[in-house]
Amino acid sequence: MSTTILSTRGLTKTYGDGESLVRAVDGVDLDVAAGETVAVMGPSGCGKSTLLHLVGGLDRPTAGEIHLAGRRVDQLTERTLARLRRTDVGFVFQAFHLMDELTVVENVELPALLAGRSPRAARARATELLRRVGLAAKAAALPTALSGGQRQRVAVARALSNEPVLVLADEPTGNLDSAATLDVLRLFEELHEAGQTLVIVTHDERIAATADRLISMRDGAFVDETRLTGGTSGRLGALAELEG
Amino acid sequence: MQQEVVLALLAKEPSHGYQLRARLRQALGPVGEAMNAGQVYVVLTRLEKAGLVTTESPAPATAKDTADRKTYALTAKGQHRVAEWLTEVSWPKPDLAEFHLKLVAAAAAGLADPLSIVDTQRRELLRRLREAQRAAMAEPDGSDAALLLEGIVLRLQADLRWLEACERSWTTRRSAP
Amino acid sequence: MGRLLLIARLAGRDLRRRPAEAALLLLAITAATTTLTLGLVMHGVAGDPYQRTREASAGPDVVASVMPDPVTGAPADPAVLTELSGADEIAASSGPFPVAGTTVEVGGRTADVQAVGRPAEPADVDRPIVTDGEWLGGGDGVVVEAAFADALGIEAGDTVTLGGESVEVAGIAVTAAMTPYPAASCLVVCTPITINGEPVRDMAVDVLEEPGLIWVGESMATSLAADPDDLAYVSYLRLDDPDAAQAFADARIPNGPMDAMLEPWPHIYEQVTHIERNAQRVLLTGAWLLGILAVASVAVLVGGRMADQTRRVGLLKAVGGTPGLVAAVLLAEYVLVALVAAAAGLVAGGLTAPAITDRAAGLLGGAATPSLTAATVATVTAVALGVAVVATFVPAVRAARTSTVAALNDAARPPRRVGWLIALSARLPVAVLIAVRVAGRRPRRVALSIASMTVTVSGIVAALAANAELNTQLASDPDPRMERLGDVLAVITVTLVALAAVNTVVATWATVLDVRYSSAVTRALGATPAQLAAGLSLAQVLPAFLGAVLGSAGGPLLYDAVDQDDVVLPPAWWLVAVVVGVVVAVSALTVVPARLAARRPVAPMLQGELA
Ligand SMILES: Nc1ncnc2c1ncn2[C@@H]1O[C@H](COP(=O)(O)OP(=O)(O)O)[C@@H](O)[C@H]1O
Ligand SMILES: [Mg+2]
Repeated sequence: MSTTILSTRGLTKTYGDGESLVRAVDGVDLDVAAGETVAVMGPSGCGKSTLLHLVGGLDRPTAGEIHLAGRRVDQLTERTLARLRRTDVGFVFQAFHLMDELTVVENVELPALLAGRSPRAARARATELLRRVGLAAKAAALPTALSGGQRQRVAVARALSNEPVLVLADEPTGNLDSAATLDVLRLFEELHEAGQTLVIVTHDERIAATADRLISMRDGAFVDETRLTGGTSGRLGALAELEG
Repeated sequence: MQQEVVLALLAKEPSHGYQLRARLRQALGPVGEAMNAGQVYVVLTRLEKAGLVTTESPAPATAKDTADRKTYALTAKGQHRVAEWLTEVSWPKPDLAEFHLKLVAAAAAGLADPLSIVDTQRRELLRRLREAQRAAMAEPDGSDAALLLEGIVLRLQADLRWLEACERSWTTRRSAP
Repeated sequence: MGRLLLIARLAGRDLRRRPAEAALLLLAITAATTTLTLGLVMHGVAGDPYQRTREASAGPDVVASVMPDPVTGAPADPAVLTELSGADEIAASSGPFPVAGTTVEVGGRTADVQAVGRPAEPADVDRPIVTDGEWLGGGDGVVVEAAFADALGIEAGDTVTLGGESVEVAGIAVTAAMTPYPAASCLVVCTPITINGEPVRDMAVDVLEEPGLIWVGESMATSLAADPDDLAYVSYLRLDDPDAAQAFADARIPNGPMDAMLEPWPHIYEQVTHIERNAQRVLLTGAWLLGILAVASVAVLVGGRMADQTRRVGLLKAVGGTPGLVAAVLLAEYVLVALVAAAAGLVAGGLTAPAITDRAAGLLGGAATPSLTAATVATVTAVALGVAVVATFVPAVRAARTSTVAALNDAARPPRRVGWLIALSARLPVAVLIAVRVAGRRPRRVALSIASMTVTVSGIVAALAANAELNTQLASDPDPRMERLGDVLAVITVTLVALAAVNTVVATWATVLDVRYSSAVTRALGATPAQLAAGLSLAQVLPAFLGAVLGSAGGPLLYDAVDQDDVVLPPAWWLVAVVVGVVVAVSALTVVPARLAARRPVAPMLQGELA
């Protein structure tokens, strides 16, 4: 039995009130086990990003509970939330959100520096992570000189900087072409194999299909859950219409 | 499998059956794994009968390994056929109409919930997508097979999106009779 | 025509879209133009009325006087003056006239006066010009010097008590032969008399304090003196060559108390205009400093705005605006603001100038409001326009040149990368790390902040030094005009500080906007709001600190340049206090915008599709 890293109960976030009340997230119960990759899929505007922001402490819920790594985090002060983001969570965004004036390695070491690591330790960790995402050669480059896929890999490396218990990715391939998407998926797969817990929200079926578990979201609520592990195999030939 | 595929593989130079099989496997990667080893020889035999391919057996031929030792080559007619095939614009069409009619019929007769049919289908396609995607991820960049897998993945993705549209459509139909 | 209208409409609309910024711009430029107007008006005042008075009143080139020996009481000898009038260089002369020291009483106030006995008929040299009433008519009427009359509230036709007797004031007059009250030179014995630096207390004759000037009939002058031996005498001399007056006086420096004392006209002129010229120098320097600050503030405002406006520029260009049109719209906005600021500055300066230049009605035209000449209006307007054009030119051209596509995509100005700063900051505490990196993104803005703080602190330090010197002078020689100079200094200092405060807030605001995106990312990566707020605030404080240090070195230099007298360096602890004060003030000014920015919710910013 694996431990639960993340669990939410009745998680709700509303915007506005009265006539214009929007239930961005509406009573979500989510449990993520250690080492699991969970994909949350749904159409644009169904509340995926909001859910991720709540879970990662970037935003506060209107109601409900969030337990992260055995700690209740929905009532924390802004300051404690910042520490939580620093140590327990790593974010990967659709728009990468790298700092253009910092080199690749400086971007990756930034969370470690913010967490008060020594410059030397932060740099060593960043270099190691860049090697892991296959971008050691680009350490001194500026993000603007990288392709979209490479930038997103840098962003993933940055998310791993402080060895978070949970990596949260918001449409990580939304800005990428098919080949770059494959690169990022491979990277997520490697993380998965290394035991990293991942929650990915996306409307890209390819990411969803590679997750252990796929949750469908509509209008702020979970409507379906599919476990994709196991199942059919050896049917690729059928896909290519080779048989018959 | 299309006869023309095997024919075209012979256009470069006369080859042994096992050479053809290796070339196919390389181009198809994991997709070709399900391919029956004898399939190529079945096709070659048909082509020979149709006069598109000639064979040449090295002497002395032994009964045992005939098939493997033979060299296949294109005839003039075969070459003509290959050239013709390359200019064709035929395209495999996914049979969406069948699935669509399945939903319509199920709903009309009240035999089954179209939404659950969509859902089951979606799960199936997701499994296939997962498999194709994993195969693609395992493939080295730039291999012939990777390109084929990408095509399969994109295709499945398109199918899944259509299923999503089906689901939306049948949900609204159900809620507004 | 239609084009101009279009430009004006677009510019006007953009200004209305951001009224607060437009108001700040207006404020910054108006402060500079007001000060400049004051400086220029002062410039016109200094010198001019004295020359006019001198010409109209047949003013003397040299004033010669003899007085009784203040220590022994030996009487003055008018023959010394008569002899002097016979010198070769003399073209004309009048006098010697008797002068009696006495007191005047009017409306309960008593003041010392020196009463000069004059005949009724006009003299060849020094014919005081009557501005009210009439000149001595041979009767008992007296004529009062205009500045003195003004100070005591005396008007023609009043009755005053002179030396115990009631007399009627026949008229009020101005003269070029003496500095107007209260800086009059002494024809009789005045305080303080010092011999070898020691004040002489025990004197044989009455000693007057800050005497006013009154013209009386000759016989009255004699009768006003308690003893005829107490009379002093004055002669007014015109030379063949007025420019030789100083040399004439230098050649006849008195050897003893009985010798004639000579005051050449340039000395009177110097006395009359000294304070005005000081005030003018202070004001012009102040105007320059304020002008520089205004440019800095406008540049930051405009730079910050331009970053925001890239998209608008893109839209303008996408619908067919030429780069010229775009630049014209942007320039038109600031030119509009500059014109309004110039007008406001001229009005404000014109209205306040009399308060500073009003040095009593001692000279012809001296009491009149100094007028705004066409040249002043032109200069002020040109400077205001210059400020606007200089500050907007580079950004306007850059915005106009931006590729339409890039502008539409709102590719804001890419941040600069200063590698060594980034590497250095990695070793610093988180708040300082954030501050250094925030500042490092915009080296030009930092330079501007440093420059603006250098200017401000230089101005403050120079003003403090000047004020300190003024206070020591005032302690020994109280003079309302000097006090007014102190007021001018205070006004300039306050304006400098206010403008610097506006600059700081504007720069902080621009920075906060500029880094709102990377702030959001930094917070997502785990920086606390407190760290971020401290970083944003420090990003302003660091350049301000540098500027303050530079400014406290530059202040004495500036003071030295403005005041040719000996420079009294302000004590070191002042400078330290100023630097500390700047740091505290800038922290206080930035803390609110920085905290607000640091507490803003992160999520919406990160949702943006494009970085
Ligand atoms: N700051 C906000 N204020 C008001 N409404 C918001 C805000 N953020 C998100 N929403 C609304 O909440 C819903 C969910 O948004 P979001 O989580 O971004 O969806 P998704 O990421 O799935 O596209 C949307 O309807 C959106 O308009
Ligand atoms: Mg989203």
